[in-house]
Amino acid sequence: MPRLLSFAIFLASWWIASLLAGDAKLPSPPTVLTALIAEAGSGALFFNLGATLARVALAFTLAMTLGAAIGYLMGRVRLADRLGDPWLILLLNMPALVVIVLAYIWAGLTEVAAIAAIAINKLPNAVVTLREGARALDASLDEMATAFALPRWSTFRHVVLPQLAPYIAAAARSGLSLVWKIVLVAELLGRPNGVGFEIGAAFQLFDIPLLLAYSLSFAAVVLVIETLLVQPVETRLSRWRPRAA
Amino acid sequence: MRLEVDIGGKTFRNAAGEQHDVIAGVTFTLDAGEVGVFVGPSGCGKSTMIRILAGLDHDFQGRVSRPVGARVGIVFQEPRLLPWRSVEENVRLVAPLADDARLSALFEILELNAHRNHFPGELSLGLARRVALARAFAVEPDFLILDEPLASLDDALAARLRDQIAMLVDDRSVMTLLVTHDVDDAVRLGDRLFLLSPRPARVLAELPIPTPRSARGEAGIAAIKSDVMRRINGDITERDAS
Repeated sequence: MPRLLSFAIFLASWWIASLLAGDAKLPSPPTVLTALIAEAGSGALFFNLGATLARVALAFTLAMTLGAAIGYLMGRVRLADRLGDPWLILLLNMPALVVIVLAYIWAGLTEVAAIAAIAINKLPNAVVTLREGARALDASLDEMATAFALPRWSTFRHVVLPQLAPYIAAAARSGLSLVWKIVLVAELLGRPNGVGFEIGAAFQLFDIPLLLAYSLSFAAVVLVIETLLVQPVETRLSRWRPRAA
Repeated sequence: MRLEVDIGGKTFRNAAGEQHDVIAGVTFTLDAGEVGVFVGPSGCGKSTMIRILAGLDHDFQGRVSRPVGARVGIVFQEPRLLPWRSVEENVRLVAPLADDARLSALFEILELNAHRNHFPGELSLGLARRVALARAFAVEPDFLILDEPLASLDDALAARLRDQIAMLVDDRSVMTLLVTHDVDDAVRLGDRLFLLSPRPARVLAELPIPTPRSARGEAGIAAIKSDVMRRINGDITERDAS
Protein backbone atom coordinates (compact mmCIF):
# COMPACT_ATOMS: atom_id res chain seq x y z
CA MET A 1 0.00 0.00 0.00
CA PRO A 2 2.65 2.62 0.91
CA ARG A 3 4.35 1.77 -2.37
CA LEU A 4 1.18 2.53 -4.35
CA LEU A 5 0.76 5.78 -2.50
CA SER A 6 4.35 6.70 -3.23
CA PHE A 7 3.73 5.98 -6.93
CA ALA A 8 0.55 8.11 -6.92
CA ILE A 9 2.41 11.03 -5.36
CA PHE A 10 5.10 10.75 -8.03
CA LEU A 11 2.52 10.76 -10.82
CA ALA A 12 0.64 13.69 -9.34
CA SER A 13 3.72 15.88 -8.88
CA TRP A 14 4.85 15.06 -12.43
CA TRP A 15 1.48 16.09 -13.81
CA ILE A 16 1.40 19.34 -11.84
CA ALA A 17 4.98 20.17 -12.85
CA SER A 18 4.14 19.54 -16.51
CA LEU A 19 1.14 21.90 -16.26
CA LEU A 20 3.38 24.58 -14.77
CA ALA A 21 6.35 24.11 -17.14
CA GLY A 22 4.38 23.53 -20.32
CA ASP A 23 4.11 20.43 -22.49
CA ALA A 24 7.17 21.36 -24.59
CA LYS A 25 9.58 21.15 -21.66
CA LEU A 26 7.94 18.46 -19.57
CA PRO A 27 5.32 16.40 -21.40
CA SER A 28 2.37 15.27 -19.27
CA PRO A 29 1.91 11.58 -18.36
CA PRO A 30 -0.63 10.87 -21.16
CA THR A 31 1.73 12.27 -23.85
CA VAL A 32 4.56 10.05 -22.60
CA LEU A 33 2.21 7.09 -22.37
CA THR A 34 1.24 7.57 -26.03
CA ALA A 35 4.91 7.59 -27.05
CA LEU A 36 5.50 4.52 -24.90
CA ILE A 37 2.61 2.62 -26.50
CA ALA A 38 3.79 3.53 -30.00
CA GLU A 39 7.34 2.31 -29.17
CA ALA A 40 5.99 -0.87 -27.60
CA GLY A 41 3.69 -1.46 -30.58
CA SER A 42 6.57 -1.41 -33.03
CA GLY A 43 8.53 -3.79 -30.79
CA ALA A 44 11.44 -1.37 -30.58
CA LEU A 45 10.94 -0.80 -26.84
CA PHE A 46 11.28 -4.48 -25.95
CA PHE A 47 14.17 -5.01 -28.33
CA ASN A 48 16.13 -2.11 -26.85
CA LEU A 49 15.27 -2.95 -23.26
CA GLY A 50 16.30 -6.55 -23.93
CA ALA A 51 19.63 -5.50 -25.43
CA THR A 52 20.38 -3.29 -22.43
CA LEU A 53 19.31 -5.96 -19.94
CA ALA A 54 21.53 -8.55 -21.62
CA ARG A 55 24.52 -6.21 -21.37
CA VAL A 56 23.75 -5.48 -17.72
CA ALA A 57 23.42 -9.18 -16.90
CA LEU A 58 26.68 -10.12 -18.61
CA ALA A 59 28.75 -7.24 -17.27
CA PHE A 60 27.29 -7.58 -13.77
CA THR A 61 27.96 -11.33 -13.56
CA LEU A 62 31.46 -10.93 -14.89
CA ALA A 63 32.35 -8.10 -12.51
CA MET A 64 30.76 -9.74 -9.46
CA THR A 65 32.46 -13.11 -9.97
CA LEU A 66 35.86 -11.66 -10.70
CA GLY A 67 35.54 -8.91 -8.11
CA ALA A 68 34.41 -11.28 -5.36
CA ALA A 69 37.30 -13.67 -6.05
CA ILE A 70 39.90 -10.90 -6.10
CA GLY A 71 38.42 -9.19 -3.05
CA TYR A 72 38.36 -12.43 -1.06
CA LEU A 73 41.98 -13.12 -1.99
CA MET A 74 43.06 -9.60 -1.04
CA GLY A 75 41.27 -9.85 2.29
CA ARG A 76 42.86 -13.19 3.15
CA VAL A 77 46.39 -12.91 1.71
CA ARG A 78 48.51 -9.96 2.79
CA LEU A 79 50.80 -10.08 -0.22
CA ALA A 80 47.86 -10.03 -2.63
CA ASP A 81 46.50 -7.01 -0.79
CA ARG A 82 49.80 -5.16 -1.01
CA LEU A 83 50.18 -5.97 -4.72
CA GLY A 84 46.61 -5.25 -5.68
CA ASP A 85 45.97 -2.13 -3.66
CA PRO A 86 47.52 0.49 -6.02
CA TRP A 87 45.63 -1.02 -8.95
CA LEU A 88 42.46 -0.96 -6.96
CA ILE A 89 42.83 2.71 -6.05
CA LEU A 90 43.57 3.57 -9.67
CA LEU A 91 40.51 1.69 -10.93
CA LEU A 92 38.26 3.06 -8.20
CA ASN A 93 39.04 6.63 -9.16
CA MET A 94 39.15 6.24 -12.93
CA PRO A 95 36.20 8.07 -14.53
CA ALA A 96 33.75 5.70 -16.22
CA LEU A 97 33.98 7.73 -19.41
CA VAL A 98 37.76 7.19 -19.70
CA VAL A 99 37.37 3.42 -19.40
CA ILE A 100 34.57 3.30 -21.97
CA VAL A 101 36.34 5.50 -24.52
CA LEU A 102 39.62 3.60 -24.16
CA ALA A 103 37.83 0.27 -24.48
CA TYR A 104 36.15 1.39 -27.72
CA ILE A 105 39.47 2.71 -29.09
CA TRP A 106 41.41 -0.44 -28.27
CA ALA A 107 38.79 -3.12 -28.94
CA GLY A 108 36.70 -1.33 -31.55
CA LEU A 109 33.01 -0.44 -31.30
CA THR A 110 32.13 -4.00 -30.37
CA GLU A 111 29.87 -5.75 -27.88
CA VAL A 112 32.91 -7.21 -26.12
CA ALA A 113 34.40 -3.75 -25.63
CA ALA A 114 31.13 -2.41 -24.20
CA ILE A 115 30.63 -5.26 -21.74
CA ALA A 116 34.27 -5.26 -20.68
CA ALA A 117 34.17 -1.50 -20.09
CA ILE A 118 31.02 -1.76 -17.95
CA ALA A 119 32.47 -4.69 -15.99
CA ILE A 120 35.75 -2.86 -15.35
CA ASN A 121 33.82 0.08 -13.95
CA LYS A 122 31.99 -2.10 -11.46
CA LEU A 123 34.89 -4.42 -10.60
CA PRO A 124 36.77 -2.29 -8.01
CA ASN A 125 33.54 -1.67 -6.14
CA ALA A 126 33.00 -5.41 -5.67
CA VAL A 127 36.66 -5.94 -4.77
CA VAL A 128 36.63 -3.31 -2.01
CA THR A 129 33.42 -4.59 -0.44
CA LEU A 130 34.43 -8.25 -0.51
CA ARG A 131 37.89 -7.42 0.83
CA GLU A 132 36.26 -5.83 3.85
CA GLY A 133 34.09 -8.94 4.20
CA ALA A 134 37.06 -11.28 4.06
CA ARG A 135 38.90 -9.17 6.65
CA ALA A 136 35.94 -9.34 9.00
CA LEU A 137 35.72 -13.16 8.94
CA ASP A 138 35.44 -14.62 12.43
CA ALA A 139 38.71 -16.36 13.31
CA SER A 140 37.08 -18.32 16.12
CA LEU A 141 34.71 -20.04 13.70
CA ASP A 142 37.67 -20.79 11.45
CA GLU A 143 39.36 -22.49 14.40
CA MET A 144 36.22 -24.47 15.08
CA ALA A 145 36.21 -25.72 11.49
CA THR A 146 39.90 -26.61 11.68
CA ALA A 147 39.57 -28.41 15.02
CA PHE A 148 36.68 -30.52 13.71
CA ALA A 149 38.65 -31.14 10.49
CA LEU A 150 35.83 -29.92 8.25
CA PRO A 151 36.60 -30.42 4.56
CA ARG A 152 37.66 -27.25 2.73
CA TRP A 153 34.55 -27.02 0.59
CA SER A 154 32.29 -27.55 3.57
CA THR A 155 34.10 -24.82 5.52
CA PHE A 156 33.76 -22.44 2.61
CA ARG A 157 30.09 -23.15 2.06
CA HIS A 158 28.88 -23.24 5.65
CA VAL A 159 31.36 -21.10 7.58
CA VAL A 160 32.86 -18.56 5.18
CA LEU A 161 30.13 -17.91 2.61
CA PRO A 162 27.36 -17.04 5.10
CA GLN A 163 29.69 -14.47 6.67
CA LEU A 164 30.39 -12.97 3.26
CA ALA A 165 26.72 -12.97 2.24
CA PRO A 166 25.90 -9.47 3.55
CA TYR A 167 28.98 -8.11 1.79
CA ILE A 168 28.07 -9.88 -1.43
CA ALA A 169 24.55 -8.48 -1.14
CA ALA A 170 25.90 -4.96 -0.54
CA ALA A 171 28.29 -5.26 -3.50
CA ALA A 172 25.49 -6.57 -5.70
CA ARG A 173 23.11 -3.83 -4.64
CA SER A 174 25.51 -0.92 -5.15
CA GLY A 175 27.09 -2.60 -8.17
CA LEU A 176 23.78 -3.10 -9.92
CA SER A 177 22.90 0.57 -9.57
CA LEU A 178 26.34 1.49 -10.91
CA VAL A 179 25.95 -0.84 -13.89
CA TRP A 180 22.49 0.57 -14.71
CA LYS A 181 24.05 4.02 -14.95
CA ILE A 182 27.14 3.10 -16.91
CA VAL A 183 25.50 0.80 -19.42
CA LEU A 184 23.56 3.74 -20.91
CA VAL A 185 26.74 5.78 -21.37
CA ALA A 186 28.45 2.88 -23.07
CA GLU A 187 25.47 2.41 -25.39
CA LEU A 188 25.25 6.11 -26.14
CA LEU A 189 28.91 6.23 -27.17
CA GLY A 190 29.29 3.12 -29.22
CA ARG A 191 26.35 0.76 -29.67
CA PRO A 192 23.66 0.82 -32.37
CA ASN A 193 20.84 -0.26 -30.00
CA GLY A 194 19.79 -0.35 -26.38
CA VAL A 195 18.10 2.18 -24.10
CA GLY A 196 21.19 4.40 -24.05
CA PHE A 197 21.30 4.59 -27.83
CA GLU A 198 17.58 5.44 -28.05
CA ILE A 199 17.89 8.14 -25.40
CA GLY A 200 20.85 9.61 -27.31
CA ALA A 201 18.79 9.64 -30.50
CA ALA A 202 15.78 11.19 -28.73
CA PHE A 203 18.07 13.86 -27.26
CA GLN A 204 19.41 14.81 -30.70
CA LEU A 205 15.86 15.11 -32.05
CA PHE A 206 14.64 16.85 -28.87
CA ASP A 207 11.95 14.19 -28.70
CA ILE A 208 11.24 14.59 -24.98
CA PRO A 209 8.24 12.21 -24.78
CA LEU A 210 10.34 9.41 -26.32
CA LEU A 211 13.23 10.23 -23.99
CA LEU A 212 10.97 10.01 -20.97
CA ALA A 213 9.24 6.88 -22.28
CA TYR A 214 12.58 5.05 -22.41
CA SER A 215 13.84 6.46 -19.11
CA LEU A 216 10.69 5.49 -17.27
CA SER A 217 10.36 1.99 -18.71
CA PHE A 218 14.01 1.47 -17.82
CA ALA A 219 13.33 2.67 -14.28
CA ALA A 220 10.34 0.33 -14.11
CA VAL A 221 12.51 -2.64 -15.08
CA VAL A 222 15.03 -1.71 -12.35
CA LEU A 223 12.24 -1.49 -9.78
CA VAL A 224 10.80 -4.85 -10.78
CA ILE A 225 14.18 -6.56 -10.58
CA GLU A 226 14.82 -4.97 -7.20
CA THR A 227 11.44 -6.08 -5.80
CA LEU A 228 11.29 -9.56 -7.29
CA LEU A 229 14.94 -10.57 -7.14
CA VAL A 230 17.22 -8.52 -4.92
CA GLN A 231 14.97 -8.01 -1.90
CA PRO A 232 13.67 -11.60 -1.59
CA VAL A 233 17.25 -12.90 -1.78
CA GLU A 234 18.32 -10.50 0.96
CA THR A 235 15.43 -11.55 3.16
CA ARG A 236 16.27 -15.20 2.71
CA LEU A 237 19.95 -14.67 3.48
CA SER A 238 19.23 -12.87 6.73
CA ARG A 239 16.45 -15.14 7.99
CA TRP A 240 18.65 -16.45 10.82
CA ARG A 241 19.08 -13.00 12.35
CA PRO A 242 16.81 -12.36 15.30
CA ARG A 243 14.22 -9.86 14.08
CA ALA A 244 14.14 -6.43 15.57
CA ALA A 245 10.92 -5.85 17.48
CA MET B 1 45.42 -44.58 21.39
CA ARG B 2 47.58 -42.28 23.46
CA LEU B 3 48.33 -38.60 23.69
CA GLU B 4 51.87 -37.56 24.53
CA VAL B 5 52.44 -33.94 25.33
CA ASP B 6 55.70 -32.22 26.07
CA ILE B 7 55.31 -28.47 25.70
CA GLY B 8 58.59 -26.83 26.69
CA GLY B 9 57.35 -23.29 26.41
CA LYS B 10 55.05 -20.94 24.59
CA THR B 11 55.57 -17.22 24.30
CA PHE B 12 53.05 -14.79 22.99
CA ARG B 13 53.68 -11.37 21.54
CA ASN B 14 50.99 -8.81 22.27
CA ALA B 15 49.93 -5.87 20.11
CA ALA B 16 52.49 -3.61 21.80
CA GLY B 17 55.27 -6.02 20.81
CA GLU B 18 56.01 -7.23 24.34
CA GLN B 19 56.75 -10.89 24.90
CA HIS B 20 54.86 -12.91 27.47
CA ASP B 21 55.56 -16.44 28.60
CA VAL B 22 52.24 -18.22 28.66
CA ILE B 23 53.35 -21.80 29.24
CA ALA B 24 56.55 -22.69 31.07
CA GLY B 25 56.40 -26.46 30.83
CA VAL B 26 53.56 -28.94 30.57
CA THR B 27 54.36 -32.61 30.19
CA PHE B 28 51.86 -35.44 30.46
CA THR B 29 50.39 -38.44 28.72
CA LEU B 30 46.78 -39.45 28.42
CA ASP B 31 45.42 -42.88 27.51
CA ALA B 32 42.15 -43.88 25.89
CA GLY B 33 39.28 -44.00 28.35
CA GLU B 34 40.97 -41.55 30.69
CA VAL B 35 39.68 -38.16 31.71
CA GLY B 36 42.53 -35.79 32.42
CA VAL B 37 41.52 -32.58 34.13
CA PHE B 38 43.58 -29.42 34.21
CA VAL B 39 42.80 -27.15 37.09
CA GLY B 40 44.32 -23.74 37.30
CA PRO B 41 43.58 -20.11 38.04
CA SER B 42 41.96 -17.92 35.39
CA GLY B 43 44.37 -16.63 32.78
CA CYS B 44 47.06 -19.22 33.52
CA GLY B 45 47.38 -20.32 29.91
CA LYS B 46 44.87 -23.17 29.85
CA SER B 47 43.13 -22.04 26.71
CA THR B 48 46.46 -21.54 24.96
CA MET B 49 47.36 -25.10 25.86
CA ILE B 50 44.05 -26.31 24.45
CA ARG B 51 44.68 -24.52 21.18
CA ILE B 52 48.05 -26.26 20.91
CA LEU B 53 46.57 -29.68 21.70
CA ALA B 54 43.73 -29.18 19.22
CA GLY B 55 46.29 -28.49 16.51
CA LEU B 56 45.28 -24.85 16.09
CA ASP B 57 48.60 -23.39 17.18
CA HIS B 58 51.89 -24.83 15.94
CA ASP B 59 54.13 -22.06 17.18
CA PHE B 60 55.51 -23.48 20.45
CA GLN B 61 58.59 -25.23 21.79
CA GLY B 62 58.27 -28.92 22.40
CA ARG B 63 56.30 -31.74 20.94
CA VAL B 64 52.73 -32.97 20.91
CA SER B 65 52.05 -36.36 19.44
CA ARG B 66 48.41 -36.90 18.78
CA PRO B 67 47.29 -40.37 17.70
CA VAL B 68 47.21 -40.53 13.91
CA GLY B 69 43.73 -40.24 12.46
CA ALA B 70 42.10 -39.55 15.82
CA ARG B 71 38.78 -37.77 15.49
CA VAL B 72 38.70 -34.65 17.60
CA GLY B 73 35.61 -33.31 19.29
CA ILE B 74 36.01 -29.97 20.97
CA VAL B 75 33.92 -27.69 23.14
CA PHE B 76 35.36 -24.20 23.24
CA GLN B 77 34.87 -21.82 26.11
CA GLU B 78 32.30 -19.94 24.03
CA PRO B 79 29.88 -22.19 22.13
CA ARG B 80 31.17 -21.10 18.68
CA LEU B 81 28.08 -22.25 16.80
CA LEU B 82 27.30 -21.08 13.30
CA PRO B 83 24.55 -18.49 13.83
CA TRP B 84 23.17 -19.01 10.30
CA ARG B 85 22.59 -22.75 10.72
CA SER B 86 19.95 -24.37 12.89
CA VAL B 87 20.90 -26.41 15.94
CA GLU B 88 20.55 -29.67 14.05
CA GLU B 89 22.47 -28.37 11.03
CA ASN B 90 25.27 -27.19 13.31
CA VAL B 91 25.63 -30.70 14.69
CA ARG B 92 25.22 -32.51 11.38
CA LEU B 93 27.77 -30.31 9.67
CA VAL B 94 30.69 -31.70 11.68
CA ALA B 95 29.24 -35.23 11.72
CA PRO B 96 27.74 -35.81 8.28
CA LEU B 97 27.86 -39.59 8.73
CA ALA B 98 26.05 -39.71 12.08
CA ASP B 99 22.86 -41.75 11.80
CA ASP B 100 19.50 -40.37 12.87
CA ALA B 101 18.94 -42.76 15.77
CA ARG B 102 22.21 -41.90 17.45
CA LEU B 103 21.70 -38.21 16.93
CA SER B 104 18.22 -38.44 18.40
CA ALA B 105 19.59 -40.24 21.43
CA LEU B 106 22.21 -37.53 21.86
CA PHE B 107 19.64 -34.74 21.58
CA GLU B 108 17.49 -36.64 24.06
CA ILE B 109 20.29 -36.90 26.64
CA LEU B 110 21.15 -33.21 26.32
CA GLU B 111 17.45 -32.24 26.28
CA LEU B 112 17.72 -30.48 22.96
CA ASN B 113 14.90 -32.15 21.07
CA ALA B 114 12.62 -29.13 21.28
CA HIS B 115 15.32 -26.86 19.88
CA ARG B 116 16.48 -28.78 16.82
CA ASN B 117 15.18 -26.21 14.37
CA HIS B 118 16.10 -23.12 16.35
CA PHE B 119 18.91 -20.84 15.35
CA PRO B 120 21.71 -20.28 17.89
CA GLY B 121 20.68 -16.63 18.25
CA GLU B 122 17.40 -17.84 19.76
CA LEU B 123 19.07 -19.94 22.45
CA SER B 124 20.15 -19.11 25.97
CA LEU B 125 23.83 -19.55 26.80
CA GLY B 126 23.09 -22.77 28.67
CA LEU B 127 21.31 -24.23 25.66
CA ALA B 128 24.04 -23.08 23.30
CA ARG B 129 26.63 -24.81 25.50
CA ARG B 130 24.59 -28.00 25.30
CA VAL B 131 24.51 -27.74 21.51
CA ALA B 132 28.29 -27.33 21.54
CA LEU B 133 28.49 -30.49 23.66
CA ALA B 134 26.17 -32.34 21.29
CA ARG B 135 28.34 -31.28 18.38
CA ALA B 136 31.52 -32.54 20.07
CA PHE B 137 29.94 -35.89 20.93
CA ALA B 138 28.25 -36.32 17.55
CA VAL B 139 31.57 -36.84 15.78
CA GLU B 140 32.17 -39.88 18.05
CA PRO B 141 35.52 -38.45 19.04
CA ASP B 142 38.60 -40.43 19.96
CA PHE B 143 39.94 -37.30 21.58
CA LEU B 144 37.52 -35.03 23.37
CA ILE B 145 38.58 -31.55 24.47
CA LEU B 146 36.40 -29.58 26.86
CA ASP B 147 37.42 -26.02 27.66
CA GLU B 148 35.40 -24.81 30.67
CA PRO B 149 32.20 -26.31 29.26
CA LEU B 150 30.23 -25.46 32.41
CA ALA B 151 31.49 -21.94 33.10
CA SER B 152 28.87 -19.28 33.88
CA LEU B 153 25.98 -21.71 34.21
CA ASP B 154 23.89 -21.91 37.36
CA ASP B 155 24.73 -24.71 39.77
CA ALA B 156 21.74 -26.95 39.11
CA LEU B 157 22.18 -26.84 35.35
CA ALA B 158 25.94 -27.28 35.63
CA ALA B 159 25.43 -30.36 37.82
CA ARG B 160 22.98 -31.87 35.33
CA LEU B 161 25.28 -31.20 32.39
CA ARG B 162 28.22 -32.64 34.33
CA ASP B 163 26.31 -35.88 34.85
CA GLN B 164 25.47 -35.92 31.16
CA ILE B 165 29.12 -35.46 30.24
CA ALA B 166 30.12 -38.27 32.61
CA MET B 167 27.50 -40.51 31.04
CA LEU B 168 28.66 -39.78 27.49
CA VAL B 169 32.34 -40.19 28.38
CA ASP B 170 31.79 -43.54 30.11
CA ASP B 171 29.64 -44.71 27.24
CA ARG B 172 32.57 -44.75 24.84
CA SER B 173 36.20 -45.14 25.65
CA VAL B 174 37.29 -41.61 24.83
CA MET B 175 40.51 -39.82 25.62
CA THR B 176 39.14 -36.74 27.36
CA LEU B 177 40.83 -33.54 28.36
CA LEU B 178 38.87 -31.17 30.54
CA VAL B 179 40.04 -27.72 31.51
CA THR B 180 38.34 -25.97 34.37
CA HIS B 181 38.89 -23.68 37.30
CA ASP B 182 36.13 -25.38 39.25
CA VAL B 183 37.61 -27.95 41.65
CA ASP B 184 34.23 -29.60 42.19
CA ASP B 185 33.81 -30.34 38.45
CA ALA B 186 37.39 -31.55 38.31
CA VAL B 187 37.04 -34.02 41.17
CA ARG B 188 33.69 -35.36 40.00
CA LEU B 189 34.71 -35.89 36.38
CA GLY B 190 38.44 -36.59 36.36
CA ASP B 191 40.52 -39.76 36.49
CA ARG B 192 43.69 -37.76 36.88
CA LEU B 193 44.00 -34.16 37.97
CA PHE B 194 46.79 -31.86 36.88
CA LEU B 195 47.19 -28.74 38.98
CA LEU B 196 48.56 -25.81 37.03
CA SER B 197 50.50 -22.84 38.35
CA PRO B 198 49.54 -19.25 37.57
CA ARG B 199 50.92 -17.91 34.32
CA PRO B 200 53.30 -19.04 32.87
CA ALA B 201 51.67 -22.42 33.36
CA ARG B 202 53.53 -25.48 34.56
CA VAL B 203 52.21 -28.66 36.15
CA LEU B 204 52.48 -28.33 39.95
CA ALA B 205 51.14 -31.76 40.82
CA GLU B 206 49.48 -34.78 39.28
CA LEU B 207 46.77 -36.47 41.34
CA PRO B 208 45.28 -39.75 40.20
CA ILE B 209 41.79 -40.60 41.47
CA PRO B 210 41.61 -44.40 41.50
CA THR B 211 37.91 -44.71 42.41
CA PRO B 212 35.70 -44.94 39.29
CA ARG B 213 33.49 -41.89 38.70
CA SER B 214 30.20 -43.65 39.43
CA ALA B 215 31.48 -45.11 42.73
CA ARG B 216 32.66 -41.81 44.21
CA GLY B 217 30.71 -40.93 47.32
CA GLU B 218 30.17 -37.41 48.57
CA ALA B 219 32.63 -38.02 51.44
CA GLY B 220 35.37 -39.22 49.09
CA ILE B 221 34.80 -36.27 46.78
CA ALA B 222 34.98 -33.85 49.69
CA ALA B 223 38.24 -35.41 50.86
CA ILE B 224 39.88 -35.13 47.45
CA LYS B 225 38.56 -31.59 47.06
CA SER B 226 40.08 -30.44 50.32
CA ASP B 227 43.36 -32.09 49.34
CA VAL B 228 43.32 -30.20 46.02
CA MET B 229 42.35 -26.93 47.68
CA ARG B 230 45.14 -27.34 50.20
CA ARG B 231 47.68 -27.87 47.45
CA ILE B 232 46.47 -24.93 45.40
CA ASN B 233 46.23 -22.52 48.31
CA GLY B 234 49.45 -23.85 49.82
CA ASP B 235 51.22 -23.00 46.63
CA ILE B 236 49.82 -19.48 46.68
CA THR B 237 50.93 -18.93 50.29
CA GLU B 238 54.41 -20.18 49.41
CA ARG B 239 54.56 -17.75 46.53
CA ASP B 240 53.38 -14.90 48.70
CA ALA B 241 55.98 -15.77 51.32
CA SER B 242 58.84 -15.75 48.86
